[in-house]
Amino acid sequence: MPNARDAVTGQIVDATAKCGITAIASLPDGWITDLIAAYSSDRRFRHIAVNREESAIGFCSGAYLGGIASMALMGASGFLTCIYALTKINYTYQIPILIGITLRGRPGDRAKFHQSNGLYLEAVIKAIDIPFIPIERSEDIQKIPVAYAHSRTMTRPVVVGFTRELLQGQA
Amino acid sequence: MMGFEDCFRLLYDRLKTEIIVTSAGNTSELWWEMSEESERVFYLEASMSLTSLFAAGIALGNPGKTIIAFSGDGAFTMNPGMLFVEKQLDLPNLKHFLLSNGCYGSTNDLTIPYSQTIDYPGLARAAGLSRVYSITSLQELEQQLDTIIKDPGHTFTVLHVQPLGRRALSPPLDGPEVKFRFGRYLERNGGRTIFDTQLK
Repeated sequence: MPNARDAVTGQIVDATAKCGITAIASLPDGWITDLIAAYSSDRRFRHIAVNREESAIGFCSGAYLGGIASMALMGASGFLTCIYALTKINYTYQIPILIGITLRGRPGDRAKFHQSNGLYLEAVIKAIDIPFIPIERSEDIQKIPVAYAHSRTMTRPVVVGFTRELLQGQA
Repeated sequence: MMGFEDCFRLLYDRLKTEIIVTSAGNTSELWWEMSEESERVFYLEASMSLTSLFAAGIALGNPGKTIIAFSGDGAFTMNPGMLFVEKQLDLPNLKHFLLSNGCYGSTNDLTIPYSQTIDYPGLARAAGLSRVYSITSLQELEQQLDTIIKDPGHTFTVLHVQPLGRRALSPPLDGPEVKFRFGRYLERNGGRTIFDTQLK
């Protein structure tokens, strides 16, 4: 019987598959290593381990034009390095993309080097007008297909943000 | 070393059926100037260093088509790790051409200070790529192009060219028009469905 953490991982993976997503481009954050491993070992997906987060944006944007549904998965800090790629590629050409990130720096995250994310991450997302859907409890996981569909409808990026408590099966 | 325009003219004359992804600056401008094509070409002008991975996504969804990605050396030096991802993907229909002219062509040919010391083909081989080409003359390009393009397998080809020495016009297309023309072309020509709404 899976523990709560594994169960949440499985639910996220299944919700992603429900979108029709078949490609995951990721760079690790400590909170999502289980998730990345799950995608990597699941035959419904092709997992691409990218060299930097912007490469995930580039690859997933091209995959859209290849007719392949995909998700870019990364940590909060990595997401903040993607502003150029998102505003240039996805905004200029109106290419939708679903991006999964960790919500580092929220109260409870004891990593001092992530506190800047707590201060600025959501403010930056808001500043560039990306719809942001926090995934804080297991019942929120069903919002992932909604986020994906919304991205395609508005032909822009949409971010879903995973909390530590959710990913650890505590919420 | 080849003249940039001579090199590109040869490529344009020979690459008539492939899907093309150009990068910011010279490659987008020259391809547009020579061809005025607006369907099988994605002018990815707004991307520094991401052309080949953007093209990789297209290639993954179109295994029956050959996808050509053009990068400049200015972009390449920003993200040489792209080669590790290309190696991992190992897409047999992705052909990556690096135009090495030792300068930032989209910003008035300002010199890349360390360009003379970088061995781009050596970098690619060190990244584990097996089909790496380094071409310095038109004759060589003419002789090797079919092998590079038509033999199955990912290739990385460095084209050593001179700076263009002028600016050509950017393609006069807004981003969404580039997307739709390109995407509809792929959909009409055997590609997967891209857009949620199909035209009659």
